[in-house]
Amino acid sequence: MAKPADLDDTIRALLADPQWQGHPLYQALDGLYGLYCDHTEQLERMTRISDRYQKAEHDRGMSYAARHEQQMKRLERLLRISDRYQQSLQQLNEELRQQSEQDELTGLYNRRYMQARLRDELARQQRGGRPFCVVLGDVDHFKRINDAAGHEAGDLVLQRVADLLLSRLRQTDCCARWGGEEFLLLLPVTKAAEADVLVRNIMQKMAGMHITGMPDGTVLSMSFGIAQSDSSAVSNVESLIALADAAMYAAKNAGRNQLFHAD
Amino acid sequence: MLDLNIPATTSTPCIRTDTARGVLHMSGDSYPENAFEFFQPVLDWVQTYLGESSLPLQLDIGLLYLNTSSIRIMMDIFDSAEEAFVAGRDIRLVWHYQPDNERVAELAEEFSEDCSFPFEIMAYTG
Repeated sequence: MAKPADLDDTIRALLADPQWQGHPLYQALDGLYGLYCDHTEQLERMTRISDRYQKAEHDRGMSYAARHEQQMKRLERLLRISDRYQQSLQQLNEELRQQSEQDELTGLYNRRYMQARLRDELARQQRGGRPFCVVLGDVDHFKRINDAAGHEAGDLVLQRVADLLLSRLRQTDCCARWGGEEFLLLLPVTKAAEADVLVRNIMQKMAGMHITGMPDGTVLSMSFGIAQSDSSAVSNVESLIALADAAMYAAKNAGRNQLFHAD
Repeated sequence: MLDLNIPATTSTPCIRTDTARGVLHMSGDSYPENAFEFFQPVLDWVQTYLGESSLPLQLDIGLLYLNTSSIRIMMDIFDSAEEAFVAGRDIRLVWHYQPDNERVAELAEEFSEDCSFPFEIMAYTG
């Protein structure tokens, strides 16, 4: 069978040849061929238009996909930045919490935190919990140290004392810088006799401590007062502290480097 | 063109525009109750400035904390700036931060990734 292009050529050649013009099939073939050419052209136009529609749809789809991807990337960045802002706020919050509970110089808890802890501990005991002890300790002759060796040396002494106290405490004990050179120990579930052992141990360690920057022979000591929380004189945190404070001053008055128990 | 001069509050940043010099300044914390309402005048200023003139624009930023909506709005503003920059406009951004708050710098860095215009992250000095 002839190929369509060849057939086209053959038909056009036959129609152009004058010898066939009188042939009975000539009119019919001529008409049919004209119709065929019209239809072919129409079909090609339809195909072209259809292709263009398809391409436009395709492009539109691609631009949606691209835009979608762009939006997703943007959203992801937005979330990432937002998460990081939240993280940094959380860190800041944690830093502030620590600052609000901590004594800057020694790293121990500060008075504010300790006061809240004492309230909790006393409430627990008053609800039927076991008694605890409060120990107030004050560095002896601290003013002399400051005057003789300067404030920086004084600060160093306070840091060394804080380290020593921390190193002797048990897991559940808690220590705060209560004032200038005054420290407070909270010893949960502890009787005065047990606190006595712990504090004497601290005093012993302190006597052997060498502080750099101090004149030779300088021996550091502290005076301590111990109060037990179930004493009849205790009604609140203030009266408990007052007991420990009075005992500590008694220790000072008795010549320092001493440990006194509240009456 | 009306300039903005919005003082900072605890939850909204300070916003100042200087149309004559082509500067938009934003600094402080930003977590407004309705961020889109709060920033609408800023978005309007940016659109108008970029649309009505062909002068340079400098974004002078000292923002600290941004809530999610504020981040979204910053991205929109930077997008507009980026578009203008790509079209040939002179655009630059400086993001200032306190040297003791490196986090601000890291977050500014994150913002800069979508921007091809000059984006400088600078510690305040002194």
